[in-house]
Amino acid sequence: MSQVRAKDLTKIFNGIKAVDDLTIEIRDGNITGIIGPNGSGKTTLVNILTGVIPFEKGSVIVSETKREKVKPFNIHAYGITRTFQAVRLFEQMSVLDNILVVLTERNVFSALFERHKIHHISEAEAILKGVNLWEKKDDNVERLSYGQRKLLEIARAIAMKSEIYFFDEPFAGLFPEMRKIVIDIIYDLKIQDKTVVLIEHDIELIRGLCDRVIVMNAGTLLAEGKPEDVLKDKRVIAAYLGD
Amino acid sequence: MDIFIQLTLNGLIAGSIYALVALGFNLSYGTMRFFDLGYSALIAVGGYTVFFLSRQIGLPLPISILIGTIMAGIAGYIIYLLVYVPLRKRKASNMALLVASLGIFTVIQAVIGIFFSSQFRTLSGPVDAERIFHVFGGSITRIQVIILGTSIVVMFALAIIFRFTTFGKSIRAIGDSEEVSKIVGINTSRIIGYVLFIGSAIAGLVGILVGFDTGITPTMGFSLLLKGVVASIIGGVGNVYGGVVGALFLGLIENYGIWHISTEWKDAIAFGLLILFLYFRPQGIFRK
Ligand SMILES: Nc1ncnc2c1ncn2[C@@H]1O[C@H](COP(=O)(O)OP(=O)(O)OP(=O)(O)O)[C@@H](O)[C@H]1O
Ligand SMILES: [Mg+2]
Repeated sequence: MSQVRAKDLTKIFNGIKAVDDLTIEIRDGNITGIIGPNGSGKTTLVNILTGVIPFEKGSVIVSETKREKVKPFNIHAYGITRTFQAVRLFEQMSVLDNILVVLTERNVFSALFERHKIHHISEAEAILKGVNLWEKKDDNVERLSYGQRKLLEIARAIAMKSEIYFFDEPFAGLFPEMRKIVIDIIYDLKIQDKTVVLIEHDIELIRGLCDRVIVMNAGTLLAEGKPEDVLKDKRVIAAYLGD
Repeated sequence: MDIFIQLTLNGLIAGSIYALVALGFNLSYGTMRFFDLGYSALIAVGGYTVFFLSRQIGLPLPISILIGTIMAGIAGYIIYLLVYVPLRKRKASNMALLVASLGIFTVIQAVIGIFFSSQFRTLSGPVDAERIFHVFGGSITRIQVIILGTSIVVMFALAIIFRFTTFGKSIRAIGDSEEVSKIVGINTSRIIGYVLFIGSAIAGLVGILVGFDTGITPTMGFSLLLKGVVASIIGGVGNVYGGVVGALFLGLIENYGIWHISTEWKDAIAFGLLILFLYFRPQGIFRK
């Protein structure tokens, strides 16, 4: 079974095919790695699957329903959430509010008067403690370090309690102890039988974490399969891993 | 000395009107991020609804005022649904939205003009204006006391909503980034709809209050909107409390400014102040 699939997907930026007739599937309950050289279309693919950008051709299939369009607001309803390669937080808000803002019941009428209850706060506390940011809860996020910002964005995705998580280079620029936190979070999602998609350049991380790997090159699918097979593939080595 | 106190009182009353306008306008600007000129027409919608209901039909004042406020809110919400939602779906530029809002302003004030003529009208009977209180040697009419009280109540209510409800957090999140808000599951069009209803209702209330204090014309909202925007810029755009302080500051300066000169200079003083701020402190009083 696979919740998310892309079929014959094409995305053109100023005449350049960033994603080129791509067909892939993301398997449920797996950690899937997406690798490929810079500019090979990894982020563009995730942007399409999460409705951030429209696409020209092909279709996205979410939960067996074929879609010619994916809207950002809908992805929450599909059980999808994501982080961004360049971290995107609510900059004018505190660390705690960045988490609380996603922890709501979202009823039509209560939306106006609902207040955060104790259980929301303790949920946010647990999530923030998981990424060592609880002491910073009242700080404006503008004051966080690069790594802390990255962790907060991942924490916000966790707070969404989704089924499918897309992480665009969650380890990039993190110190080892922070990497450890992110690795634990991803394993934790795996234990809960969630689906994780990970764009990552570090091959050792991919080898260690992923059940499957998708290799992209110039917008096309170069290879896919188990890490141990894919990373041995001669074409993958030639295109990406170098000698 | 008495003159000084009178000018201070006048300044605070003008300032609290500007503060309400700035609050309502900031709600809309803070979520939709464009200069909504249509907002000014809703001020007149409030004023004329009360004029119609209480002066022409003869409904009791409190009911007329309540309906007038809600009418402006509904009008703002309908405009959002019919004009801004489709335009924003098509990713219309801010310039396109601004022009659309100018169109809305023109249509609404023309329609009001057709039904009620563009003649200056007042909502209050002679009795209301005469009820005068004396404060520290200055005088203030009953309606002016109501203006001050209403502004304070609205400001506190909004401050509480902003601070303590998830709604307030969602508004701030949308102001920060609408796209990320969507991705984290905030129903942005619903929240913006609520925001515009509230902001438009505040506009209506302004029109009603001003209508009792000085009077109404179909285009009355335009200069009020400009003052509200000047107040926002002085206070720091996007900063809700900044807008309020900027508004009081503007009201006071305007009134102190005309101490020895004719009242016609008020607008010149207001926009002179704006130019000074844009030149020397474009981020406003409160922005870092
Ligand atoms: N918004 C955009 N406008 C124009 N071109 C774009 C845009 N986004 C991506 N591209 C182009 O599309 C191609 C794929 O970019 P993409 O960001 O998807 O690559 P990537 O695999 O994520 O690379 P990296 O590893 O550097 O993050 C590149 O040629 C890029 O320049
Ligand atoms: Mg990328």
